[in-house]
Amino acid sequence: MPAPSTEFPGNIFYALLFFGFVSFFVWSVAVRFRWLARAQWINRFSEPIRRAIDLIPWVLGNSRVARPRYWYAGVLHTAIFWGFIALQFRTLNFLLNGIDHGVSLERAFGPVWTWALRPSMDAFNAFVILGVAMAAWQRFVWRPKRLTLNWDAWVILGLIFWLMVTDIFVNSAEIALGRSENDWQSFIAFGFANLWDRIGFEGTGLELFHVAWWYSHLTDFLVFLVYLPYSKHSHILTVAPNVFFASREPSGVLQPIKDFEKGESFGVGRLEQFNWKQLLDAYTCTECGRCTAACPASLTDKLLSPKQVIVDMRHLLEDRMPALAPWTKRPADPGDLIETVGFEPIWDCVTCGACMYECPVFIEHVPTIMDMRRYMVMEQTNMPETAQATLMQLEQRGHPWRGAQLTRTSWIEEMAAEGVEVPLFDGAQEYLYWVGCTGALQERNVKVTKAMVRLLLEAGVSFGVLGAEEGCSGDPARRLGNEYLYQMQAEQNIATFKGKGVQKIVANCPHCFNTIKHEYPQFEGRFEVMHHTEFFARLVAEGKLRPQSLDGLKEKQITYHDPCYIARHNDLLEEPRRVLEATGARLTEMGRCRRQTFCCGAGGSHMWVEESRGQRINHARTGEAAGTGADVIAVACPFCMQMFEEGVGSVPEAAEKGMQVFDVAELLDMSVAYSRAAAEAAADPPVE
Amino acid sequence: MPHIICCVKQVPDPETPASQFRVDEAAKKVVPVPGIAPVPSQFDTIGVEAALRIKDKTPDTTITILSLGPESYRDSIKHSLAMGADEGVLINDPALYEADHWVTAQVLAAAIGKLAPFDLVICGRQAVDWDMGVVGSTIAEILNVPCITIAKEIQYKDGQVVVERVLLDGFETAESPAPCVVTVSNELGEPRYPQLRQIMAAARKEVKVWTASDLGLDAAQLKNLVSLERLYVPEVKVETEIIDGETPQEKAEKLALKLREAKLI
Ligand SMILES: Cc1cc2nc3c(=O)[nH]c(=O)nc-3n(C[C@@H](O)[C@H](O)[C@H](O)COP(=O)(O)OP(=O)(O)OC[C@H]3O[C@@H](n4cnc5c(N)ncnc54)[C@H](O)[C@@H]3O)c2cc1C
Ligand code: SF4
Ligand code: SF4
Repeated sequence: MPAPSTEFPGNIFYALLFFGFVSFFVWSVAVRFRWLARAQWINRFSEPIRRAIDLIPWVLGNSRVARPRYWYAGVLHTAIFWGFIALQFRTLNFLLNGIDHGVSLERAFGPVWTWALRPSMDAFNAFVILGVAMAAWQRFVWRPKRLTLNWDAWVILGLIFWLMVTDIFVNSAEIALGRSENDWQSFIAFGFANLWDRIGFEGTGLELFHVAWWYSHLTDFLVFLVYLPYSKHSHILTVAPNVFFASREPSGVLQPIKDFEKGESFGVGRLEQFNWKQLLDAYTCTECGRCTAACPASLTDKLLSPKQVIVDMRHLLEDRMPALAPWTKRPADPGDLIETVGFEPIWDCVTCGACMYECPVFIEHVPTIMDMRRYMVMEQTNMPETAQATLMQLEQRGHPWRGAQLTRTSWIEEMAAEGVEVPLFDGAQEYLYWVGCTGALQERNVKVTKAMVRLLLEAGVSFGVLGAEEGCSGDPARRLGNEYLYQMQAEQNIATFKGKGVQKIVANCPHCFNTIKHEYPQFEGRFEVMHHTEFFARLVAEGKLRPQSLDGLKEKQITYHDPCYIARHNDLLEEPRRVLEATGARLTEMGRCRRQTFCCGAGGSHMWVEESRGQRINHARTGEAAGTGADVIAVACPFCMQMFEEGVGSVPEAAEKGMQVFDVAELLDMSVAYSRAAAEAAADPPVE
Repeated sequence: MPHIICCVKQVPDPETPASQFRVDEAAKKVVPVPGIAPVPSQFDTIGVEAALRIKDKTPDTTITILSLGPESYRDSIKHSLAMGADEGVLINDPALYEADHWVTAQVLAAAIGKLAPFDLVICGRQAVDWDMGVVGSTIAEILNVPCITIAKEIQYKDGQVVVERVLLDGFETAESPAPCVVTVSNELGEPRYPQLRQIMAAARKEVKVWTASDLGLDAAQLKNLVSLERLYVPEVKVETEIIDGETPQEKAEKLALKLREAKLI
């Protein structure tokens, strides 16, 4: 049965319809592409082969969509996604047929078409319809909070559903009008064709029926195509490039602003100041809301929703595009970027990276939010009072702890009084132990620093500290958006390291660790950097530290809180747990752990910035820790320590049972000291 | 084109940990703590903020920062320039390093004379190290212009200065024709955080350096009126008594009795 468009006037009609819609589609895409061309340049072409290979699991395999927590959405998306890809064969065949009945894939593929493609395409028709039904159930009945329930989704689901229905009916009519021996392979359409026969539907009626479904299928396809760029479903077009060009760096890394002297503007205050990948992100967001569903700021009722940040960007872009489509209204005065995204959301972010980890299409929220924060700080000086006070403090005093009563060497003097000489780094030692501002200046954290030193000495590690010569790593300034100050501090430290011949560094602050390890190389500072949990796990494995089950600890349940900058941003998941297990502790996990950890509330320099509203993030997390029934919260970050120490005093569930907070290093130190005392007692029994 | 001169002093960081604060009693000097950089006196940056608020409303205002002290004071001048001030002048003369408030005021007044014409001189209500609170009014006395102290708001319009002053039990508004001296208090509000562009511009700006003789003064003739007799850290004794009791009620009762005995309640 030839397509109705192969003869006059159908061919004219087909050509007009086809070229009209396709040119509108091309125009819409070009308008969007122009914005990418106008944005800042960034090189995302490194390792092209690896990038291409990674498309297999991440795009073809749907592996980020189909994570266990979202299995339902994973199943429905995979059904629709694969159905769509497979059915492109039939669509192409359909369009070719429309031009000339003689041109068709059917003939080109021969028996492959008959035996493999025909049945599988009918099966995929069914899968897609199932997927659409599941999606409709999710949107209509289940309604998870993360989704934006707008008509856009219904339009798309409707168009997809109709595409399947028309596809089947066109086929059924074709089969009924011109039977061949291999029709039964299109088993669904074949079933309908038999139905038409049975009810005596034939002749002109059936021919008109075919024409009607044929055009309905064609227009549905074309409408879908032109609607796509205007919908959140434009990710169908952009997801593969967006994943291909995703950042290959660890998620906790921010990019430097190069050459302050020549810079015209610092940070991003206008759309064209983003780089093209950030704008591609905006076109790619599927509005699935998984980022917001994991965001600690959002979950404690702050105004920040990472999804909304990306959606705002998309809407602002669209507001600046020419409006040809009848359903696109353009405001007379498109909004300002910073005002639209909003002061509070930009400052609420704790840079924990949960959003980036959750996003199925690899959108990079943190650098985008930080770019706007940089603009607010460096161009507008538009920031919360506490952020301003912290920056001022960093500038004047070189550390973020306002009113600190200790100096960087107080703890060294105290240890000397306790009979422990802390070696100063002078180039003769193998490792530099980087103490960090918090480890030196906050009383509670000094205890961890001392435990670190005792352990390093016990293990016979050749190490030294910088004492008064240590400066702030710069992480607080960078995450508060003052890139200029950050670069000065980083360069100062790099100069100190190089001057003293530092090559290997151990740090117990994840934020210092992250910036020294991944961000100092941006300024030619390349060092081997290790987090203390990683280092101690190795020392225990090598037998250089021999912890033993500690009497007091054995009865206690410990829950380990993964610091964002260790777990999610740096993949150190098992090392801290191995150290804890070596102490004989009984571990119990929180629901959100490892890469899915929930920020303590102090990331992104929020240690010093007052939360805008809602529940305090550290209270939410302390509550979760208390919920495990644990007596002790083990941490591996000085800020987590501060946050939980406050939390266990303020959250009733934790306070009532007297929960305690210890760094992994402290627990290891206690258990090593215990085992040493036990060994000494055994070797040297007390004289009766 | 209004011209405002802000006097900015640099002081040892008032947030230096108490345990680190030492004085050399023999030399009668505060021993600087290594690694803790001095900062601009808090009220003086508030003074710069007051000047900038006037400049925000009257953009053709020129703000000059004036400091008397050694080379290290340049940092405080740069900070004020980064906040948005236009010019910086440092009077650096080793003969003046031991100046008391009287000599300080004379030197500053001479410099202000050299910077004239001016409409307004803004000082801090007191420098946060020695806390004398006299330099501002002494300058006014020497220059023979009116002085309004402890301001929480300064407005300048057409040669008239309107100041809201902080009183113990409220506020009052005072007016004076320019030129005059105003000293500011923390009620004025937080000093602004410098914009990056201004920090970079300030780094490039030149600070003029004058000596006593540039001001037509003879340092040998400038005699301190105040002499420092003794400099020491007072000893603070804290005695702690823990009040025992079976129940919180009992402890509170005993505490209340003690406090009454001590005539504290
Ligand atoms: C014998 C003696 C020795 C001293 N030795 C030293 C010393 O070695 N080092 C030292 O720092 N101080 C020293 N001082 C303290 C002395 O310089 C005081 O700073 C001065 O008397 C002013 O008092 P004040 O700082 O409390 O100013 P206040 O009267 O409290 O200051 C009010 C305002 O005046 C302005 N102002 C005050 N001083 C300056 C300045 N230098 N430059 C610009 N503006 C200013 C500021 O706006 C300030 O807010 C010494 C004092 C004496 C008596
Ligand atoms: S980094 Fe964390 S706080 Fe910031 S938007 Fe993402 S999930 Fe929210
Ligand atoms: S940014 Fe990613 S996770 Fe968030 S809504 Fe968009 S697609 Fe979903």
